[in-house]
Amino acid sequence: MQRRWYTAGAIIAGLAMVATACTGGTGGGGGTTKGEIIVASDQPTSGGDASDGIPAQNGIQFAVEQAGSIKGFKLTFKGWDDTVNGNHDPQKGAQNIQEMIADAKILGMVGPNNSNVARAMIPIANRASFVMISAANTNECLTQTFPYCEADTGTTPAKLRPNGVNNYFRIAAADTFQGPAAADYAVDTLKATKVAVWSDNETFGKGVADKFSTELQKKGGTVVVRQDFDTKTTNDWKPFLTDAKNKGAQAIYAGATSGTKICIPRAQMKGILDVPYMVPDGGVNAQCIKDAAESAANMYGTVAAADANQNPDAIGRAIDANGGNLPSREQVRKAVSETKNFKGTTGTYTFDPNGDPTSPTMAIFQTKGSPLDWVFVKQFGVGG
Amino acid sequence: MVGSLKQARVAFVEAPIGRLVNLLVILAVLYVIFILATKILAQGPSYFLQILTYGVANGAIYALVALGYTMVYGIIELINFAHGDLFTLGGFISLFLLPIFGADASKAGTAGIILPLIAVFLVTMLICGAINVSIERVAYRPLRRAPRLAPLITAVGMSFVLEGLMFLWKGPFNLPYPNLLPTTGIAIGGATIGLKDIFVIALAAILMVVLALFVSRSTLGKAMRATAQDQDATELMGIDINRTIAATFFIGAVLAGAGGTIFGLYYNTLVFDLGFSAGLFAFTAAVFGGIGNIQGAALGGLLIGLITAMWDGYMESTWTQVIIFAILILVLVFRPTGLLGMRVPEK
Repeated sequence: MQRRWYTAGAIIAGLAMVATACTGGTGGGGGTTKGEIIVASDQPTSGGDASDGIPAQNGIQFAVEQAGSIKGFKLTFKGWDDTVNGNHDPQKGAQNIQEMIADAKILGMVGPNNSNVARAMIPIANRASFVMISAANTNECLTQTFPYCEADTGTTPAKLRPNGVNNYFRIAAADTFQGPAAADYAVDTLKATKVAVWSDNETFGKGVADKFSTELQKKGGTVVVRQDFDTKTTNDWKPFLTDAKNKGAQAIYAGATSGTKICIPRAQMKGILDVPYMVPDGGVNAQCIKDAAESAANMYGTVAAADANQNPDAIGRAIDANGGNLPSREQVRKAVSETKNFKGTTGTYTFDPNGDPTSPTMAIFQTKGSPLDWVFVKQFGVGG
Repeated sequence: MVGSLKQARVAFVEAPIGRLVNLLVILAVLYVIFILATKILAQGPSYFLQILTYGVANGAIYALVALGYTMVYGIIELINFAHGDLFTLGGFISLFLLPIFGADASKAGTAGIILPLIAVFLVTMLICGAINVSIERVAYRPLRRAPRLAPLITAVGMSFVLEGLMFLWKGPFNLPYPNLLPTTGIAIGGATIGLKDIFVIALAAILMVVLALFVSRSTLGKAMRATAQDQDATELMGIDINRTIAATFFIGAVLAGAGGTIFGLYYNTLVFDLGFSAGLFAFTAAVFGGIGNIQGAALGGLLIGLITAMWDGYMESTWTQVIIFAILILVLVFRPTGLLGMRVPEK
């Protein structure tokens, strides 16, 4: 729950910043005689995800309307809903993006909210060189090629981009950044250099645990124990925890989700060792606090922090590139891909060739307070 | 049957390729033992003692569940797949009963914990027994003379029914189970033997000894053994075999109910599909020790608990299950009837 207001808040604040910057860039507004440019959005604004989708859409609309005009073009907003039967729907997303592409005035869109919807939209938009910027998709296989992507998601970044050029960008940190962010926080803030790591042996869990270990070693830390469990049949983590204690672990990192018992070992730490317990976003929820029982305090979780889109900024540069005339979609796409050192509220962004931010922002949440809950403590740029 | 199997095995072992395979297997086993021994020596005796304690406590729980499988198999040669889920249901029922009997983790001592716990144990065991007797009446008894596969499939069906009911009752999430046992322990040579571990091991041991005495000394126990040997002859002797078989299911479920409660108290968490994996390991334990053999089930459970804890504590836990089943295969190749031998008559 904590994540939602936080994400939505970041989008609105960030978009406001972008809008202000763009208005300044137009030299005090100027005329709007050259025509109309529309920025679209695709969000789940009804159904179960509406608590994410509505604030996001409002934020995008606010930013676009705040900007008002750009280099003589009137800037307007149009929103689409990708919900069907109360749930975000990839097919609806695909239909939405076809409608957007059919409207020549729409030069780009912000969204979607969900990675599986993005997977359906990207190829359609790619054929039309139509630029997409998401503030919320975190699945790494949307932009990066890993051996497991085909098996896990049924597709690869290359297959998603039949044109061969990238049209999809995101400000949210991919899941691959969660492990490194936790390792940075462990070493820099918690001063824990000896860490015991376990994973649920699944794609996500083992992935974050491996990347945590790599970053920890890069920062001079040591993985004192490493285990991968079949969590369907494992009930007892005490041998692992005792091993960790004997080898002087100063923190435990768990690569898993609530569905794979991520915080059950936390409860079993009672009486064995009392050190911080770190989890990826799959554990940052109420179930984890319940599972950790009496040991629920002093857990740390990483969550991808979302920031604004750079669309209006890039459209402005595309107009410049076209000598002040209405730019083509390809020119907008190129301008977005060339975004460098764009200042958002949560950090400064540059896109890499995959469409990922080079230094995405991750947020750290900690369990504290009474009643215990996940509380935002810090955010910082990772990598870059 | 056994004779021809033995001949085939002897023929295989004596063939050159068989010898080579045997040699490789022996080398692999020795290598694993060597690695494990090095790690055990490197980590020191107190760590070993600690892991041993966890292993015995885990094994005690597996043993309680394994007894239910082995008793039912011993008497009617049915693998009661629903037994693991009955174990989980025992945990669910006790979780439901705890507040009713006034168990309160904040109140220490007799009134707050001990008396309510005794009551919860007894009522849970009775309810589980009654449920299992009903299951036997509905799903197994009508099929007693049917081909072997029919009751096996109804057993799988009952397993899904029980899982489905628990899913409906509490949903798909992990359920927190109150931590009523003291979390302190006794320090022995650098290791801490938790009172929780002692409680689990002692209670399981008491239940198993009572069961063994019951089966070997009481009249009903004698009737059970007779039914296991020859149902028709037993019936001719004037023994009500329906009642005897129902009693077997009742006793198996009583142990499963106790096991589920002990699991909840020990791990402080339950989930509706726990019975699938717990049941699989318990059944494996029963085969390990020699299915149909009560002491064998206890030994098998203990061994599986120990292997799991040792492997998780010293080696890579990714391979824990591979190791358990590799050992099972080895044991069965050399002793097809399990460690202590099957107590099933030749037919």
